[in-house]
Amino acid sequence: MTIKHMAFTAASLAFLTVAAAAAPTTYPLNVQNCGETITFQQTPATTVTVGQAATEVLYSLGLGDKVTGTSVWFNEVLPEFKDINDRVERLADNDPSFESVVAKKPGLVAVQYVWHVGPEGIVATREQFHDIGVPTYVLPADCVAKDNTVGVDGTRSEMFSTATIYQGIEELAAIFDVQDKGEELVAALKAREAASIEQAKALDLKDASAVFWFSSAEMDIDPYVAGRKGAPAYMMDKLGVRNVVESDEEWPVVGWETIAKANPTMIVIARMDRRRFPADDHEKKLEFLKTDPVASQMEAVKNNRIVVMDAHAMDATIRTISGIEVLSQALRDFGLAK
Amino acid sequence: MSLALSQQAYVSRLGRGALGFAALAAAILAGTCIGETPIPVLVVLQTLANKILGAAYVLDPIDMGIIWNYRLPRAIVAACCGSGLAISGMVLQSLLRNALADPYLLGISAGASTGAVAVTVAGLGAGAVSMSLGAFGGAVAAFLLVAILARAAGGGVTLHGTGQIVLAGIAGSQLFNALTSFIITKSANAEQARGIMFWLLGNLSGARWPDVWLAVPVALLGLAACVWFARALDAFAFGAEAAASLGVPVRSVQVVLIGLTALVTAVMVSIVGSIGFVGLVIPHAARFIVGVRHGRLGPATALIGAAFLIAADVLSRTIIPGQVLPIGVITALVGAPAFALILVRGRRAR
Repeated sequence: MTIKHMAFTAASLAFLTVAAAAAPTTYPLNVQNCGETITFQQTPATTVTVGQAATEVLYSLGLGDKVTGTSVWFNEVLPEFKDINDRVERLADNDPSFESVVAKKPGLVAVQYVWHVGPEGIVATREQFHDIGVPTYVLPADCVAKDNTVGVDGTRSEMFSTATIYQGIEELAAIFDVQDKGEELVAALKAREAASIEQAKALDLKDASAVFWFSSAEMDIDPYVAGRKGAPAYMMDKLGVRNVVESDEEWPVVGWETIAKANPTMIVIARMDRRRFPADDHEKKLEFLKTDPVASQMEAVKNNRIVVMDAHAMDATIRTISGIEVLSQALRDFGLAK
Repeated sequence: MSLALSQQAYVSRLGRGALGFAALAAAILAGTCIGETPIPVLVVLQTLANKILGAAYVLDPIDMGIIWNYRLPRAIVAACCGSGLAISGMVLQSLLRNALADPYLLGISAGASTGAVAVTVAGLGAGAVSMSLGAFGGAVAAFLLVAILARAAGGGVTLHGTGQIVLAGIAGSQLFNALTSFIITKSANAEQARGIMFWLLGNLSGARWPDVWLAVPVALLGLAACVWFARALDAFAFGAEAAASLGVPVRSVQVVLIGLTALVTAVMVSIVGSIGFVGLVIPHAARFIVGVRHGRLGPATALIGAAFLIAADVLSRTIIPGQVLPIGVITALVGAPAFALILVRGRRAR
């Protein structure tokens, strides 16, 4: 089955799910998920998550009391979920072991990234979970039109779309029989996205361009920036901003020379709690931009058009929508209208 | 050899020095002209005129910055690392009488990896220590361990025991590689592991003027040492015992030179990561061209190493448009076939 075909099947399934949303889920429920069919005889009683995005979707659906273990954290949990998250065991900050997940005897393992449970899964393969009767669900944002065997973070054949995020919410809502809640959440997120896009369209931007700087292994070294098919690319595309990076990889390494010559209108830098590299700190990124003899000459820096954005919003998660809002607001604040 | 000697009769020592310096300058200029983005050679020359000769050409500040603050220091650092690693390799090969010796033999590369990983993944120093400093610390620690082990095993300080250093180096490298894997598996996620791999395979993109002020003196120190000890190194070619009978203070020369190569290599690794193949191959190439006498071999090795690493860096930036390859990949991709060619031709020449 080609990836496009898969995407189509997944999309049509999402449509069916929405169409049936008013009625409660009828079990057994079959879900086509990232190339596999998973069957649910009943609502899963408990779930373990691998990946912060999966955790936060479940919390958003009001399913916090069903989550018995979380793992793979990138940032603090969203503030509105702090209380519920404090009550849930954190199996690991990073990759959990297969046994620690299975020991929870979850009715479902909800996963953010294919590389945790894919054919070369770090935690285990999906088959290993399925063999012992634990179903897995991978957020479609990481597998629809995306080949995870190419490149370190995978490579998308088509640009990411928030449609896959909404699909993930709807499918999880169907699995847990909380369609009303799912419908409500998707409608709210879609409304916010549409409002931000409208606001940006109204600005009637002339040639606005941007680069998303995630981090760098060393302060002066070539940085990790957003490629042209991931979540940041979608944000820019929808808001009428040109991405100066031309790579299909999710987070390619691009030299400052290339970025400076492209001279983008604005620079979006990631804010994160991680402190592995000095450049993880957005204050350090700002300092670099202002003091580096070349970067400081860029239009974006000279005119102080630097946007600070939650790093997790730059990944394909429900936070992507707030990323779109932040960028749209920045476009207005910078006075980039024609 | 005889060809080289007859050449020597025609070209004076000074003339050869000037020729070598001109070649180095040309290589650095080429490294400054070629980069990720096209900038006309005229702009490059005008920038250099502005900065060095105080000319006042009106240029785009970004172009000027790229040339003066990114490309030129990068080319100079590449030259220093190339020559430093090549000299270190040459000294170790001669001292240990082992054609396979390279600067990483003493556990330095493995130690640097461990140090870098300890800082970035395990969070040692809580962000106050940079990856470079961690790498330097790890490299020195690994070397000290190897040196102590070699000494305890009776190598290095005796006349027979050069094999002990090699074995101690292998043991030390294995230990530190295992430590690196341990730290990564224990606490890194895939993204961090990638950042470190990228750095460890060698990367010159972070080279700036402060790195130049560190790399140049260290490279010159390495070169000066091998010129100073050229006769002693010549003597070592016949073995430590022969060197001793020729009046070379074997023990102190070994200690000083091995310590110095460790220092030079550790500094270079901490600036650019562990770039492989240069330290192993360049000395052999240089021997093939100028012969085995260290008075000439040292400077030739340094020069070829410098030019080779600048060329490799240019290739790493331009071979795939819009993407920078780790330079270690290029040095091995270009170096291995070049080395094979030298081996085959060397055999025919004999």
